[in-house]
Amino acid sequence: MATTASSYNPREIDNTNDIPGRRAPLITGNQTYSSVTEMVCRVAEDPQPKIWWLLFGFSTTTALTFLALIGFLIYKGVGIWGNMNPVFWAWPIVNFVFWVGIGHAGTLISAILFLFRQNWRTSINRAAEAMTIFAVVCAGIYPGIHVGRAWLAFWLLPYPSLNLWMWPQFRSPLLWDVFAVGTYASTSLVFWYMGMIPDLATYRDRSKHPFRRMVYGMLCLGWTGSSRHWLVYEKAYTLLAALAAPLVLSVHTVVSFDFAVSQLPGWHTTIFPPYFVAGAIFSGFAMVVTLLVPMRKIYKLENLITLRHLDNMNKIILATGSLVGLAYGTEFFMAWYSGNQYEGFTFINRAFGPYWWAYWIMVTCNVISPQLFWFKWFRTNLVAMWVVSIFVNIGMWFERFVITVTSLSRDFLPASWGYYRPTMFDGLMFFGSFGVFLTLFLLFCRYLPTIAISEVKGVISSSEHAEHVQAELLGHAHGDADGSHGQTNHGQTNHGHAT
Amino acid sequence: MSDQKPRKPAEPKPPRSCGWMAEFSNEHDLLVASRKVRDAGYTKTDAFTPFPVHGIDEALGIKPTILPFIVLCAGLTGLFTALLMQWWMNGVDYKYIISAKPFGITPASIPVGFELTILFSAFTSVFGMLGLNGLPRFSNAIFTNPRFDRATDDKFFLYVDSRDRYYNRDSVRELLGSTQPESLDEVLEDASPTTLPRPIWLASLLLVLAGLIPAAIVLNMRAGFSDLPRWHVFFDMDFQPKKKPQQTTTIFADGRSMRPQVEGTVARGQLTEQDPFYLGWDPDKKVSAIEGETKRFVSVQGVGQDATAGAASPTPQDSATPAQPPADGGATPMQPPADGGAAPALDLPWLERFPFEPSDADLKLGKTKFEIYCSACHGYSGYGDGLVSKRAASLLQDTWTPPTSLHADRVQKQPVGQIFHTISKGQGKMASYASSLTPKERWAIVLYVKALQRSRNAKIDDIPVEQRSNLTETK
Repeated sequence: MATTASSYNPREIDNTNDIPGRRAPLITGNQTYSSVTEMVCRVAEDPQPKIWWLLFGFSTTTALTFLALIGFLIYKGVGIWGNMNPVFWAWPIVNFVFWVGIGHAGTLISAILFLFRQNWRTSINRAAEAMTIFAVVCAGIYPGIHVGRAWLAFWLLPYPSLNLWMWPQFRSPLLWDVFAVGTYASTSLVFWYMGMIPDLATYRDRSKHPFRRMVYGMLCLGWTGSSRHWLVYEKAYTLLAALAAPLVLSVHTVVSFDFAVSQLPGWHTTIFPPYFVAGAIFSGFAMVVTLLVPMRKIYKLENLITLRHLDNMNKIILATGSLVGLAYGTEFFMAWYSGNQYEGFTFINRAFGPYWWAYWIMVTCNVISPQLFWFKWFRTNLVAMWVVSIFVNIGMWFERFVITVTSLSRDFLPASWGYYRPTMFDGLMFFGSFGVFLTLFLLFCRYLPTIAISEVKGVISSSEHAEHVQAELLGHAHGDADGSHGQTNHGQTNHGHAT
Repeated sequence: MSDQKPRKPAEPKPPRSCGWMAEFSNEHDLLVASRKVRDAGYTKTDAFTPFPVHGIDEALGIKPTILPFIVLCAGLTGLFTALLMQWWMNGVDYKYIISAKPFGITPASIPVGFELTILFSAFTSVFGMLGLNGLPRFSNAIFTNPRFDRATDDKFFLYVDSRDRYYNRDSVRELLGSTQPESLDEVLEDASPTTLPRPIWLASLLLVLAGLIPAAIVLNMRAGFSDLPRWHVFFDMDFQPKKKPQQTTTIFADGRSMRPQVEGTVARGQLTEQDPFYLGWDPDKKVSAIEGETKRFVSVQGVGQDATAGAASPTPQDSATPAQPPADGGATPMQPPADGGAAPALDLPWLERFPFEPSDADLKLGKTKFEIYCSACHGYSGYGDGLVSKRAASLLQDTWTPPTSLHADRVQKQPVGQIFHTISKGQGKMASYASSLTPKERWAIVLYVKALQRSRNAKIDDIPVEQRSNLTETK
């Protein structure tokens, strides 16, 4: 198999422009079906580059430190954290919301962009979905260890607790959260896995070693690529997309209820659900850019994850970042317009009180930095977009910090005001969760298909079909003038070079 | 997997033919060939492609799937499971009383209902897809051909199964050959052993057994009995070195862990405890018959220790040993029976007059506060016909106690202090309003209630002489 896919040269190829009349290609380098297979499978089949081992060594060390710290936390108690009256919901809940928010991009890309027929999603959805699941794993750790007696965390589930035969209280948003995050994690997992089945079959069929072949053979459940199977599969995929689209919106809505249903100034507002969802998509896309920019470089996937994909994601970051900025402004407006003195105080305190630094980091990172994406240079420059995406990640963490800590530290009663200070364990355990996240993501790159191979092939197929129809309309039809789409030879013209 | 005997390879019997498989290099050739095969009448056919080829369902004659209906049923099951679960757990098995909200399905049940609808539907989509496709299926005759490995890469295969009604080995080969495939092969039965390799089988079995151990231990613990004390993970958390109220101690001479008030000090809120303005009755007045509830109230409040010392007090004034049996709900010893209506008037020296000089401003304040806090139940004119009450009556709420009419005879007779006391402490189903209204506001309401009562039972003498003529005119 001679792949004619030319190597990537960013100077020659610009697919970020939509030239009127002709669709810019989604993937570059004159790809064929086999060259796509080759490019993606190479990631797992070739020996991993040095940087992978470096990162893996670093991330596993960090992750193991995190696990050890969790052990220490369970042994010693949550007192090792800085959580103290009046701020009992401190970094653990901030980190939880941060990770859950990041976990929104994957399902958004795979579900909502699928329903909107955004074909550019095919190159990035797999990695984004994987990232989603790993982020939700990180998120799930925090409530589990924050409950104090972590060995009883299963009481979060509808379980008649020991000797009391008492059920959970279904009017509490915290319990809705258990259901929302649990449903989201498990649905995302099956969605991700189902999407991988055909690609795992590709991995199986390319495996040389019988053990490898057997493992991938079991993972892909004996997928053959049968058209009868594909038909049901596509229906199931559409159904899952239609189910996951409202789900992804509901998850952060319910997370925001944790705050909005309480009566604390700064939390008790109806803007929270849309504001949280926009923020979640914002942070999720930023994290996808953070991961994909190095990944496409390391694994030489530039022809599949093209500048156009990154450009599109940056546009979404710009849109959601502006939405988040609008929400910050609306909160301030409502604090003044409501005439409620506590609400008014809370917001003045946020911007100019003891946590002013956190507030202005948040505004700089979340509102100002994405505005750079109005300029095409920033949207298409890899270093620039990577830096902005890191800024957005930082900003979104600070957003959750500002919401949680400023409102709690100064409530109605000045006598109970306080200033929250994290301890070393807060910092190390937040840093440690990145180790878990990165370890899982590196293992994913190493063993699982990082790009939805079959979906990219489907995009190639349909774009060539479209080109052919266009050529026919323009009068450049091939020999067959009977108008029956000429299945006989246009395949050869397009694929001749592939065989 | 049912066949445990390992099969001997290379037996003389030739493998059975399962059908014919033609290979194409692009989807368009596959579609043309598929139409040809369909038009020839074959139905046990299939195409194997690296991605879903559009139009293949029509070209091969594949029927649409019923998966969406299965998913719909699963979604509805999820919804009803969630609603039933919430209704039963919080409304039947363990009733949660929260803000007098109804038990069972409320708007608060929506989020969990939504999530479980999605959860059930999503899992059914995936597992329904696998079930309808007959997956997982690890042994498949088409895998015997090494060329087939490229069905997941860049090749397209068309397959006619030998179980087809019109299947004829030669005619199928001829038909497929006429579609100009890249290759044409007969698919032979998979002769490799279908059993799982023994080490894998054993390892899986061991894993499953190991996974059952914790569950078995838990079940054993739950079902059985043990003489050993419960295991405390964190002993000093379950048994904390501290004293709770009403416990004994050896630290203090009197053996009580609860310490009495230090002499010469005033506790928070104690200053107002002997002021008629805050009570509605006069603690300085000697209670003639210091019996029953009254006496107990006085002693619990700790007032009158010195004042009643020399008085005709039949029982000792020891607050720690009340002579009377405690009434239900020790926190509100003054509370009459819940129906409120027929309770005998408390024998307290109620204030007959306001403890301040009422003014027009007080009356206005009382009207405002009455309309905010009282009118919802008692009604704007005090007949007990407030909006809440009307609504409850129209809903036939049997838990609803109709509010008392303020113009009832016994309410009319109540001294101002007693009405103040009712507002402050609550009565029957009516809660205390002490946290919502300052004492001054409560007195203002009493003033307004008195004005209301008088206006509803006015005699002609109550009206100034010069205005009596107006009355007859409007009548």
